[in-house]
Amino acid sequence: MQQLSSIGELRELRSVLFDAADENKPRIVVCAGTACQASGSNVIVRAAKRHIIEKGLVGKVALAITGCHGFCEMGPFVLTEPQQAFYAQVGFDDIPRIIDALLSGEYVEELLYKDPATGQRYYKRDDIPFFKNQRRSILSLNQKIDPIRVFDYIAQGGYIALESVLSQRDPHGVVQEVKRSGLRGRGGGGFPTGAKWEMLARESGRGGKFLVCNADEGDPGAYMDRSILEGNPHSIIEGMLIGAYGTGASQGIVYVRAEYPVAVKHLNIALEQARRLGLLGEHVLGTDFSFDMTMVKGAGAFVCGEETALIRSIQGKMGEPRQRPPFPVQKGIEGKPTSINNVETWANVPLIFRLGADKFAQVGTENNAGTKIFSLVGKVKNTGLVEVPMGTRIKEIVYEIGGGAVGKARIKAIQTGGPSGGCIPSDMFDLPVDYDSLAKAGSIMGSGGMIVMDDNTCMVDVARYFMNFLKEESCGKCFTCRKGTQRMHEILEDISRGKATLKHLDLLQELAEVVKDTTMCGLGQTASNPVLSTLRYFRHEYERHVIDKKCDAFVCKDLVGAPCQAACPLGTEAWRYVALIEKGEYVEAYKVIREANPFPSVCARVCDRKCETRCSHAVSGGEAIAVRSLKRFVTDSVAPEVYVAPRIHVNGGASSVAVVGAGPAGLAAAHYLSLYGHKVTLIEAEKEPGGMLMSCIPSYRLPREVLRKEIQSLLDPSITVRCGTAFGRDITVDELFKDVFKAVFLAIGADKSYRLELEGEDVKGVYSSMQMLKAFNLRGDEVARGRVGIIGGGNSAVDAARVAIRQKGVDNVTLLYRRTSQEMPAYAEEIEAALEEGIALETLVSPVKIRYMEAARSEGVRVETFVSPIKIDTRHGHLADIRCIRNSLGEVDASGRRRPVPIPGSEFTIPLDTLIVAIGERPDSDCLAPMGLEMTKSGTLRVNAETLAASRPGVFAGGDLVTGPNTVVDAIAAGKKAAYMIDRYVRGKELKGLPETKMPKFFMDPPAVSDADAEEAVRAEPVTLPAASRRKNTAEVEMALSAEAAIREARRCLRCDLDFTRPREDSENACSVKGKSA
Amino acid sequence: MITLRINGLDVTVEKGTTVLEAARFLGFPIPTLCHMEGLSPYGACRLCVVEIGQEPRTRLVSSCTYPAEEGLKVRTASARVLKARKMILELLLASCPQSKIIQDLASAHGIRTQRFKQEHEDCILCGLCVRMCEEQMMAKAIGFRNRGEKRSIGTPFDVKSDACRQCGGCIYVCPACQLRCTYAEPEKAICGGCANLSPPCVEKEPFDDMMCYMDPCVACEIDKKIDKR
Repeated sequence: MQQLSSIGELRELRSVLFDAADENKPRIVVCAGTACQASGSNVIVRAAKRHIIEKGLVGKVALAITGCHGFCEMGPFVLTEPQQAFYAQVGFDDIPRIIDALLSGEYVEELLYKDPATGQRYYKRDDIPFFKNQRRSILSLNQKIDPIRVFDYIAQGGYIALESVLSQRDPHGVVQEVKRSGLRGRGGGGFPTGAKWEMLARESGRGGKFLVCNADEGDPGAYMDRSILEGNPHSIIEGMLIGAYGTGASQGIVYVRAEYPVAVKHLNIALEQARRLGLLGEHVLGTDFSFDMTMVKGAGAFVCGEETALIRSIQGKMGEPRQRPPFPVQKGIEGKPTSINNVETWANVPLIFRLGADKFAQVGTENNAGTKIFSLVGKVKNTGLVEVPMGTRIKEIVYEIGGGAVGKARIKAIQTGGPSGGCIPSDMFDLPVDYDSLAKAGSIMGSGGMIVMDDNTCMVDVARYFMNFLKEESCGKCFTCRKGTQRMHEILEDISRGKATLKHLDLLQELAEVVKDTTMCGLGQTASNPVLSTLRYFRHEYERHVIDKKCDAFVCKDLVGAPCQAACPLGTEAWRYVALIEKGEYVEAYKVIREANPFPSVCARVCDRKCETRCSHAVSGGEAIAVRSLKRFVTDSVAPEVYVAPRIHVNGGASSVAVVGAGPAGLAAAHYLSLYGHKVTLIEAEKEPGGMLMSCIPSYRLPREVLRKEIQSLLDPSITVRCGTAFGRDITVDELFKDVFKAVFLAIGADKSYRLELEGEDVKGVYSSMQMLKAFNLRGDEVARGRVGIIGGGNSAVDAARVAIRQKGVDNVTLLYRRTSQEMPAYAEEIEAALEEGIALETLVSPVKIRYMEAARSEGVRVETFVSPIKIDTRHGHLADIRCIRNSLGEVDASGRRRPVPIPGSEFTIPLDTLIVAIGERPDSDCLAPMGLEMTKSGTLRVNAETLAASRPGVFAGGDLVTGPNTVVDAIAAGKKAAYMIDRYVRGKELKGLPETKMPKFFMDPPAVSDADAEEAVRAEPVTLPAASRRKNTAEVEMALSAEAAIREARRCLRCDLDFTRPREDSENACSVKGKSA
Repeated sequence: MITLRINGLDVTVEKGTTVLEAARFLGFPIPTLCHMEGLSPYGACRLCVVEIGQEPRTRLVSSCTYPAEEGLKVRTASARVLKARKMILELLLASCPQSKIIQDLASAHGIRTQRFKQEHEDCILCGLCVRMCEEQMMAKAIGFRNRGEKRSIGTPFDVKSDACRQCGGCIYVCPACQLRCTYAEPEKAICGGCANLSPPCVEKEPFDDMMCYMDPCVACEIDKKIDKR
C-alpha cells in the first residue's frame, strides 16, 4: 500500500478505484456481522466461495463479505446485486441455486423474503417493509463495503469529506459547519456536538488535546455501535480526523469493549491501513495537520460509558465517575482537554461534510437533525437495526418497520434507552422519537435500544430485571446509587413475590426520586427511570401484584405457581393429572380433573385451553403440552362413576334457589348448590338443558350423547329442571321471589347476534350465525344453500362455516374476514380444520352492501344460480350477492390490532346464496332492566366482580350474560363461584371471595427424561377424521390419543410444580458437607 | 476571588474553594460522612447535597466536591435537600444502625425509624480510610475492589499488605466500624493492636508516635516496659 503524500493523490486513487468499479457486475453480498455469523453466515461464505471456484465463475460473479445490514432476524441472508434480491435465512445448499439464478438474471422464488403477515414475496430488497420505511444514511454503506478493505470505502466516496475539509476549510469553519448541521450526541445525552467541539477548540492546546470515540456500548439489547465499528470502521477514523482538524486535537482514542472482538479486529486493521496510506500520523496527506489514533479496550463495566469514568479507565484506573465541573473538555485524559463522542456521532461527521450542513439538517426535525439508528428487539416480528429520521413516531417504527406483535399478543409498551431508560405505553406510540419528547415522557434516547413488550411481559419484572443489572453495574461510589439500586431491587423483588404492601410502592417512588436527585453521574441519575416510568404508566400492574397478588403476564413465579393451573379459571391442577398420566394412574388423574371441573368430557373437547397458552413450553417458544388432548384421553378411558362429588354438610340454612338458564354456568351453579344442600330449580327456555353447548357448539366437535351424559350426571333429585320456560316472557325475577326462592342466579347467556346494519340485511338468505346454528343443532334444519358466505372471524363464524359445509344443499363456503387470518379471534386449529374441509378464506375484506337480486340484475351482475328461498317473500327477492371492499392494515386501534382501512376502488362482488353474519353476540337482556337490574352500555348485566351479586339483593349472575360471549370454562367457573356466593348469601354469611391462586401442593417424582429425549420429543397431536369423510356428516372429528402417545406427551411436561413441591434438599447433609470443608 | 450566594448571603472565597467550605465559613451546617479536612473531597456519601442554580432549573450536587463558581446560587436546606438527606439517612440507618455517628445524624434530622429491611453492615464505603491510607499515611495499603453491590474495601486479594504499617489511621477515621474495633474477631480487624499483647506496630521501625492514632492504645508503653525488664 503506497503512502499518499498529497490530497491530489487520494483523489487520483479514488478515480482509479471508481473507474474500476462496475455497478452492473453480478455480486453476491453476504452479511458477516456478529449476529449473522452466529446464525451461520460463515458457512454461507464458504459455500459461495467453493461454488464460484468449482464452477469457474471467478471474475463473473463477485463475492462481498460485509458488516451488519440490520435485518438480523432474517440472518443469515444473501443480497444479490444488481438485482437487489434479498434471500432470507438461507442454508448451505441454497447458495449454488442463488448464484446460478443471479447469473441468468432470475430469482429463486421460494427463498425470497416472505412477509409473515401477508405471505407476499418481495423481489427487491428495498420494497420489503422493514427496509422501505427506513432512511439509511449511515447503515446503507455497510452493505457496500468490505470492512477490511480500505479501497472499498474510498471507492464509495470515503475520505472525500476529509479531502474537502483539508483543502478548503479553516478549522473554525469545520466547527461552525458541524454546529450548523445541528448534530447532537448520539450516545444518549443529546449534547450539541458542534458546541462541544467549539469548547474544545477554545481550550489552549499546548499540552495536546484528546478526542475520544466512546464505543463502550453496554446497554442490553443495543448493538448499533458495534455494527458501525464492525462494518465501516473507516467512517469513524474519517470523522475523528475531521474533528481533530476542527478542534486542534492531536491524539485520538477509541475506547472499545473487549467483548466486541470483530469490532476490535476490524478497527485495528483499519487504523493500520489508514496509517500506511498516510491518513493518520504526522503530516496527514502531506499537509501540516497531524493526528494519530490508538485503541483502548474496556473491560466491560457499564459505568465506563460515563465520560469521567471512561477517562479514568483509559488512564488505567478504576472506572469511577467524578464530579463535573471540571468538564472533560477542560480537564480530561491526563488533565488535558478532551472531547468524547459516541461512535454513531463520529459516523455522522463525514456525512455532514459530504452532504453539507444544510442538507444534513433537512432530515429529522428542528433541534433533532439527521437520522438515528435504533436496535429494535423484543416482542416484535422484525428485529434488527433500524435507521430512521429523528422525530419518526414510535408507531411507525414498531408497526411498519417492526411488523407489529408476534402472534396474537398485544404490544403494550416499548422500553427505550437501555437500563436507565423508561417504558412508554402503547397509547403514547404517537410520540415522535427525539431527545426532548422521550425525556418529557420519562424515558431517554440512550444509545438507541428499543425493547418491545407485549402482554406476556410483566412490567414489575422488567423494572426488577433492569434494577438487578444496575445494582451490579453501579460503580458503588455514590452511596445513594449503590444502596438505592440495591434497595429498589429488594422492594421490586418483594413485589414480584407478593410480599409487598401499598406502602412499599410509596417508599419505592420516594426512594427512586431521591436516587435520581442525589447521585453524581448519569448512571445514578437515570437509574430510577425504569422504576419511575413503570410506576407512572403501569401502576395498575404494581397494584395488581401488591393488592390482588396476581401477575397477569404470568411472569412472577411466586404469584403464578404452575402456569397451567394458574391460567385455568377453574384452577384445575393440570400439572398434577399430566404427571399422573405419566405414571399410568388414569383413575387418579380423572379424579383430579373432576374435582375442579364438573364438565370434564365437555372441556376435553371444546375448552379454549388457557393452560396451553401459558405452558412454559409455549412461552419459551416451543410447543405447549397438549393438555386438552390428555384430558380427552383420561375422560375417554375412565368411567365417570369413579368420582363421587362430596356433599358439603352444613346443618340448617338450606333454601330454594332458582337458576335461570341451563347452560354451562347454570348447570355448574345448580350442581354445586345442590352439593351445598340447597333445593334448586333450573329454568331453561329451550327443550332440554345445555344452553350454548347444545345450541351453538356443533356435534362434530361435541357429540350430543357425550354432552347429554355429562349433563345427566350433574342432575340429582334436589335439582328440578323446568324446560321450555323463557325468562322474561314466562317468568320474572319478582315472580321467582314471590315463589319459594330465596336467591336467583341468572345465566341466560348471550345469544343475540349483532347485525351488520347494512341495507338488505333482512332479505331471505341472510341469517345470523345463532339462527343458523340453532336451527341445525336443535332442530336439524339445514338453512344454508348453494354458495355460502360467512362474515366474521370468531369461533361462531368458523362453527357456522364448518356446519354449513356439512349441510346437503351447500356447494361451497367462503369465510369473509376484515383483518388478516393471524388476527382472527377463532382458535387456530378450528380455522385450520375449516380450511382442510375446503372452506375458502378471504381476509382483509369487509362488505359494503348486500344487494337484492333485482338490484343485482339492474346493475348487470350475472347471477349464476338461483336458489329457491325458504320462504317466498314477494316484495323482496332473495339474496344474490354481496359487494365487498378490500382492506389494508392501517394504524393500531384500541384492541392493539391494526385497524382495517378500506382501499378505495377495490370493491368486488361475491355471488352468494346464503349469507351468515357472525360478527358477535350480546345477551338478549332487554327484559332485565324493567326487573330493577342494572345493565352496562354493551347490554350485559352489571355485577360485583368479587361476589357476582347484581344490583338487586338476592340476584346473582354469571357467564356470558355478564361477560359477553366468552368461553365454556369461564362460564363453568362463574357458575361454581356463584354457587359458593349464593350459599353464603342464603345462610346469611358475609359475601367473601374464594381464596385464589392455588400453589402446587402435592409432590410427585418427575420421570427421568434424558436431554436427548427431551429435545426430540414433539407435541402429540390427536388423530382427526380425514377431511374428505367429514363433509355432509356430523361425526366427531377429533379422536382421543392412544395410551402410548398420551404417556409420551405427559413425559414432555416441564413440571413447573416441582419448584414449589419438591422437598427441600436434605438440609442436614448440606450443612455437614459445608462444615467439613470449613 | 469568587463571590457566590448561599441561602441569600453573599460570600467571597478563593478560587478552588468548595461550596461546603464556603457554607461552613458562613456557619451553615451541612452534615457529612465521607468528608474530612486534610483528605481530598470524594463525594461518596451524598449527605452534603445542596441545591444549586436558579428556579426552576435547579439541581442537587454534593457540596464537598462542587467548586465555588462566580454568581452561583446555593441553598443548603431547601425542602428538596432535606427530603433527599432524610432518605439518605434512612438508607444509612437501614444498613449500618450501630454507628453512633449515623445514629446521631439521624436523630438530628428527626429520623426515628427506617422502612427497609434491616441490615447490619460494618462499612458504608465512604472511602475515608482509603484516602487516609493513601494521602496521610502514604501507604496505599487498602483500596476499593469490585463494583456495585460487590464493592468492598481491603487489601489486594485480601492478603496482608506489606505497605500497611498498621498505623490504625483507617480505623480512627471510620464513621461506621466501631464494631470492628471491639476486636471481637481479631483476625478480621485490620489492626487489633490494642487487643494484642505483642502488638505488631512496635516491630516496625519507621513507626513513630506522631503517626499513631490509636489513643488510648498502650501497646508501646507495655512494650517499652517489657524492654526495660
